[in-house]
Amino acid sequence: MSRPGRDESPDRLYTLTGGRSHSDSDTFDLVTLVVAESDPAPGMQSEHVAILRMCRSPVAVVEIAAELGLPGSIVRIMLADLLDTGRISARHPRTARAADRLPDPELLEQVLVGLRNL
Amino acid sequence: MRPSLRSTVPAALISAAVTGLLCVWAVSAAPASAQTPLAWGAGAGAAALTAAVTAAAHFRSLVERLRGREAAFTARAEQLAAKARRAEEDVRRTVADARRAAEDAARSEAVRTATVAACANAAGRVQAIATSVLADLRAMEHRHTDEDVLTDLLHLDHRAAQAGRIADSIAVLTGARSGRRWARPIVMESILRGAMGRISGYQRVRLHSTSQVAIAGHAAEGVMHALAELLDNAANFSPPTAEVHVYVEEVPAGVVVTVEDSGLVMSDIQLRRAERAVTAEKSDLSALSGTRLGLAVVGRLARKHGLTVSFRPSARGGTGALMMLPQELLTELRPGSPAPQPVGIAPPPAPVRARKASAVPRVPEQAAQSTEETEAEVVEEEVQEVQDAPNPPATTAATPTPTTATPTASDPPGADLGESGLPKRRRGRTLAAALLRTGEAKARARDEARPATAAPSTTPAAQAARFSSFRKAVTPTPVPPPPATSTPSEGDPR
Repeated sequence: MSRPGRDESPDRLYTLTGGRSHSDSDTFDLVTLVVAESDPAPGMQSEHVAILRMCRSPVAVVEIAAELGLPGSIVRIMLADLLDTGRISARHPRTARAADRLPDPELLEQVLVGLRNL
Repeated sequence: MRPSLRSTVPAALISAAVTGLLCVWAVSAAPASAQTPLAWGAGAGAAALTAAVTAAAHFRSLVERLRGREAAFTARAEQLAAKARRAEEDVRRTVADARRAAEDAARSEAVRTATVAACANAAGRVQAIATSVLADLRAMEHRHTDEDVLTDLLHLDHRAAQAGRIADSIAVLTGARSGRRWARPIVMESILRGAMGRISGYQRVRLHSTSQVAIAGHAAEGVMHALAELLDNAANFSPPTAEVHVYVEEVPAGVVVTVEDSGLVMSDIQLRRAERAVTAEKSDLSALSGTRLGLAVVGRLARKHGLTVSFRPSARGGTGALMMLPQELLTELRPGSPAPQPVGIAPPPAPVRARKASAVPRVPEQAAQSTEETEAEVVEEEVQEVQDAPNPPATTAATPTPTTATPTASDPPGADLGESGLPKRRRGRTLAAALLRTGEAKARARDEARPATAAPSTTPAAQAARFSSFRKAVTPTPVPPPPATSTPSEGDPR
């Protein structure tokens, strides 16, 4: 959040997205994990470059937004652009975590037994 | 002598005749003995009388003549005096006129000065309001996540930015101070986008720039404003669907920004007039046409910042405006500077070319300052992160200071405690200082963590030690936790 009366950057947010404020895709929510699929290319918008560098390992959308200091909606639009050009891929954390949400009950039981034996 | 002769001769003749007749009568009437002496005496008397009469007549006519001449002279003198009076009056009237004209001029000059000052003042206020509105809008844009609200806010933002530009234009034309100033260099991309955001047709503007140069903070606003005016011209004088292209090219003398539209082709005369408008040595407001303020604004800004603006027919079929930014306005952003991070494509922003001496001294301190700010923010974020999650995510490993990922980093001795009881970073403290103290803190923490089993101390150092050992207890480490600090409640200073 910028401090009142002190505008940090001359960029207005609408210029970052070409005036769009709705993202077409609903792929991204705040916790979607984003991974870069390619390196930044010359002439790209600096925010896109920053996203691609940040996402060499999976990063959540909310983290990208915090790092860039931009509202989530704006970041989502930029991510949708990158996704459309195939430069990033997105993965929802829930689908990834669903399989191992809870550890195996048997394992838990063994741990309990082990603890009692200490 | 003629007129005197005319009056003298008859008088002489008449007196001669009269006296002659009298003499003849007297001589003839006298006795013969006295005739001869009487004739002599009478003749002499007659001659004397005639001479006296003649002389009298002569002088009389002379006097009359002189009197006449005197009258003539008097009349002439009066005439001349009247003429002199008229002339004097004329002169007086002229002087009065001149004085009145001078007074009028002075008054109108005063009125003009007052008007310009009032305009400048008003423009300054509007600028201030526009700036704060833009800042508020940005804050709101960050606060509201609803996309519909965001759409409306962006719309307002755009309108406010345009209003701000018009206020800026008036301020520039009236010679007021520039309303906004940037404390740090602004990268070219932000300059272009900032300029673009201030015109109505910004969605038609296409930027083609890989330049990494940044504009020195003091000139950034002016350059942005001048570019915005050029972009506005290009967008206004081209079809509403045509795109306006902006190219940035680095040349030895500086940077050339080209704004090309595919709209109306300007004739030679128009091109020359436009160039005159932007290069005029001393522009006065009387040359303004009322509706076309843009080029006059560009001209003023160009003079102020040493920009060179020229126009030429564009290869796209419209008009191209070229703006040359001299080296003095350019700096390179150091890596680690805030906001739009330098892109990795181009070679790292090293001092590529020889900088003018004037540009150099400003850069390091600004860069240092901004670096300090960023790094301080990084530390803050990290602290937040570390406190939130037991295991720092992989992203923090990429930060330049791996040691700060340990919990003790967040708690140097002497740190202020916030309302939550957690340490607060003091504003403006450098990362280096933080690291330095971190090392001390670590050592001290290790020393104190062991013996400080009982007696809950309230000194920050002791709290730091407790906090760090609490962290160690929670995170699975091979080191056995100190027995006294195993309960979190005890570690809580409150």
